Amino acid sequence: MKAFAYVNAANQQEALAALSTATRGRRLPLAGGTDLLGLMKDYVAEPDVLVNVKNLPAGIAVPAQGLAVIGAAATLTDVADHAALAKTYPALTDAARGVGTPQIRNVGTVGGNLMQRPRCWYFRNEEFHCLKKGGARCFAVEGENQYHAIFGDGPCHIVHPSSLAPPLIAYNARIKVAGPQGEREIEAGTFFLMPDRNMFGETVLEPTELVTEVVIPTPRNVSAATYEVKFKQSHDWSIVTASVALRMSGGGGGVVESARVVLGAVAPVPWRSLPAEQMLKGKRVDEAVAWQAAEAALADARPMSGNGYKVQVAKTALRRAIMKATGAKVV
Amino acid sequence: MADTPQVPEVNAPSRPQPHEKYPWPAEPTLVGKRIQRVDGPIKVTGQAKYSYDINRPGGLHGRILRSPHPHARIVAIDLSAASKAPGVKAVMAVLQPGAKVMFQGEEVAALAAATEEQADDALRLIKVQYEVLPHIATEALALREGAPQVFKDGNIKAGDTEEAGDLEAGFKAAAHTVLAGYATQVQTHVSLETHGCVCEWDGDKLTSWVSTQAVHGTREQFAKALDIPQANVRVITEYMGGGFGSKFGPDAQGIICAKLAKQAGAAVKLLLDRKDEHLASGNRPSSASKIKAGVSADGMLTAFDAETWGTGGAGAGSGFPLPYIYVFPNRRRKHRDIFTNAGPQRAMRAPGHPQGCFHTEMLMDELADKLRMDPLAFRIKNLPPEAPNAMWRKYFPIAAERFGWSKRHVTGDPTPGPIKRGMGCAANRWGGGGQGTKAHCEINPDGSVVMRCGTQDLGVGTKTIVAIITAETLGIPMELVRAEIGDSNYPFSGGSGGSTTAPGVSPAIRVTSGMALDALKAKVAPGLGVDAATLVASNGRIHVKGDPSKGLAWRDACKQLGMEPLAVDGQWERGLSASGTSGVQFAEVEVDIETGVSKVTRVTCVQDCGLIVDQLTAESQCIGGIIGGVNYALFEDRILDRVTGHMVNPNMEWYRIAGPSDIPTIDITLMNQPERGVIGIGEPPTISTAAAVANAVANAIGARIRSIPITPEKVITALAEREKTGGTL
Repeated sequence: MKAFAYVNAANQQEALAALSTATRGRRLPLAGGTDLLGLMKDYVAEPDVLVNVKNLPAGIAVPAQGLAVIGAAATLTDVADHAALAKTYPALTDAARGVGTPQIRNVGTVGGNLMQRPRCWYFRNEEFHCLKKGGARCFAVEGENQYHAIFGDGPCHIVHPSSLAPPLIAYNARIKVAGPQGEREIEAGTFFLMPDRNMFGETVLEPTELVTEVVIPTPRNVSAATYEVKFKQSHDWSIVTASVALRMSGGGGGVVESARVVLGAVAPVPWRSLPAEQMLKGKRVDEAVAWQAAEAALADARPMSGNGYKVQVAKTALRRAIMKATGAKVV
Repeated sequence: MADTPQVPEVNAPSRPQPHEKYPWPAEPTLVGKRIQRVDGPIKVTGQAKYSYDINRPGGLHGRILRSPHPHARIVAIDLSAASKAPGVKAVMAVLQPGAKVMFQGEEVAALAAATEEQADDALRLIKVQYEVLPHIATEALALREGAPQVFKDGNIKAGDTEEAGDLEAGFKAAAHTVLAGYATQVQTHVSLETHGCVCEWDGDKLTSWVSTQAVHGTREQFAKALDIPQANVRVITEYMGGGFGSKFGPDAQGIICAKLAKQAGAAVKLLLDRKDEHLASGNRPSSASKIKAGVSADGMLTAFDAETWGTGGAGAGSGFPLPYIYVFPNRRRKHRDIFTNAGPQRAMRAPGHPQGCFHTEMLMDELADKLRMDPLAFRIKNLPPEAPNAMWRKYFPIAAERFGWSKRHVTGDPTPGPIKRGMGCAANRWGGGGQGTKAHCEINPDGSVVMRCGTQDLGVGTKTIVAIITAETLGIPMELVRAEIGDSNYPFSGGSGGSTTAPGVSPAIRVTSGMALDALKAKVAPGLGVDAATLVASNGRIHVKGDPSKGLAWRDACKQLGMEPLAVDGQWERGLSASGTSGVQFAEVEVDIETGVSKVTRVTCVQDCGLIVDQLTAESQCIGGIIGGVNYALFEDRILDRVTGHMVNPNMEWYRIAGPSDIPTIDITLMNQPERGVIGIGEPPTISTAAAVANAVANAIGARIRSIPITPEKVITALAEREKTGGTL
């Protein structure tokens, strides 16, 4: 690990000040460190300065009316164990519960979960000078791509690893960001960028900016769920995860007025599926409709040489997420 | 019979001759009971010092620069910048210009610095110029026409053909034949404690704290490589975190560590990181087969014709026993070793057996399906004759009963819904004999006892069984016994491999403590006015046999030693241990056919290991073996990038290992065979698990996945394939 300086920022203001001169990769915020430390030990990240951002807002507020607010420094355990959050936003707390291990959830933060770098084994191993590291090619294309993207068409074929992003996008959350120019709020759905727009990061965040809070609208008449498929039940990454939020029509009768459908671990960004949303709209959800939505969502999938099976897994995850949202018991 | 030569299928020891002087007690008070590990508390509280925990005054940290290329020639090595880096105290080239590296991770240069981080940073300042050479990443690439010939004598080494009976007649007698191919992956050892050591010189004397399975063997190898007398080397391994066959010497990193320490004039700690460990510290070779087998209409195996191959990496073999256990009267088997530019294999827990078991047991289920016969009945029909080391006929029904085999459905779970359940079984055999151990016992005047033996505890409980046997023999509580092991200054014992430790060490401890007791009896007999031969030790007393009142409390007896502790040396003797074990395992799985995810829910294990010394540590070996087998069946896989030959998962993230939620319910029945003496149990319990799991998956989903690990990708692909062809198994 390359030697670095450490700025122990007491609060958000100090953290932003310390990052005000940051350029890409040279000054990095450090929260739980479950991702960054590994990158540094493997010489994939070699920052000169780390800025402690554990003292950013860490509270969780779920008022009966209005917006729920989650501080960026709240841990995944804070989210997973929050009773009021679980009641109103089960798709989010379920996703938080599925992350890593208790140890990782105890230190990993909401901000870190959104900002973590891809787990692509070509990106993570120093030997591979891949596109994300300024290299000329994506090694996954000719190589071992069983866990890579089935959407997006490259040129970099990572999948986005965030567990919280799919449910946050499904709930139409906004991500609050602070920087030298003040604060801004970004729709979660537009926070993440495809490799053609940002090869060296995965989001719109500038090196001088910090995620400070996540703001989630109150879901009215919304039934939401997350369904994650993992190979190992302990400490593993999703093969695919699916989050859905179904806004039911006021008239009752279980008809979907509108839907938001997001797949995780299938593309370089959390993958919102408009075809599936369109398919669900105006329908009374049952197994057959869930099947149709899943088929619609994966119709445009373009698997690589070794990850065709993920199409099937994604269909299953989405179908089960939809049924789970309706209150049906799923496997 | 302790050292009956191991005949592959049937090794039927005649009735063993028990040791005349110190036979195992007929009614033991400690041996065979459920006894907690003597070092459990200090291990779980972090007080036990492993090699990694040894910090010497002024000690440095060593790191090794490894080849990033799977095949290259070294053109030049420039150490100058690294030698001037902060904290660096010693730098060396391991290879010289002109030398070739044959796999990613081969040692090229090394250095020692004041901190681990400085060492890592400085390592990157060593400039190596390579001439990159063509490489072979996979078996398939090695076999391809026009593949570059990267090994001196070719990429493929054909082995001997093993033949028996009349193959043609065998196939003529067959009513059904199966033609199929099976494959197993390369699995690395993933010892939780990585390889390495701490080396410290005092003049020309070397002390090394090594994570090793062989303190004496490691001492020898240090002496030879460093050209110093064995007398000048001391190897200490008080605690270690697993080796599984991969830690029998100092290895390259140990010798490098000693040289760096010499050069720096300071102690050096050099333990591998997880990536080094995956790349360069050994693995279980892959295996693949094409098998044609025949079976008669009444379910008797008639013929077996197999071509097999596998890779043990750069220049290493890949042999495995085949067919395994079941009797094929007419058979032929040809094997080829395929060399690839990958880290070479090493012995790994039951070398070859899990592979041989997998290929054979998968085949057995396929044959049974052809016959429409219960696979268990089919297996029993084709077993070799029963013998003390071949007890499957007895164990299969016991395990089947405990497991609930009668509830097994025929292949393909008919239950609606995505979750399919299935059952499978498999058998195992192993040697597990050992000998050649010496021990030293001291009985102190205060009644405390030291038993010293230069064996080592890989984490299996060796220290505990040394204490158990000593206390049992002396008739005293274990608290009075201090078992000292893991030091090459202690009396010789061999390396802990092949499940030889318990059968090697236990007799030596029994004999040595028996001799010590005899010496103590001789001391106290005159005072009691009896013949020493009439005395026994039990329940904390030395007394006349049958009359506990006529004797002395243990401490009072020891007081009679006066100022001088009693000391005796003894060694392994025949009649207290044996070789040859057998066992069976049953597995139940749940497969989600819509996600391809398989989960092992239950494993039932029936296993023998001769005389059980400690029920708990023996069960613990089974638990560890089965978890390892579940990993082999579902998760572990050394994945090399097919283009560059680099390992893409040299970590514990994508190199998957079961976590708590992935571990099945495990039911263990140990079959005690006290009349046979002690036999090792380290290896056999890991052999059958993967085969039983793979058979259970086929039974669940009605499609056979003929290679491990059974990933979601393979399950979904196999089911899609079946959908396409409309066929079943």
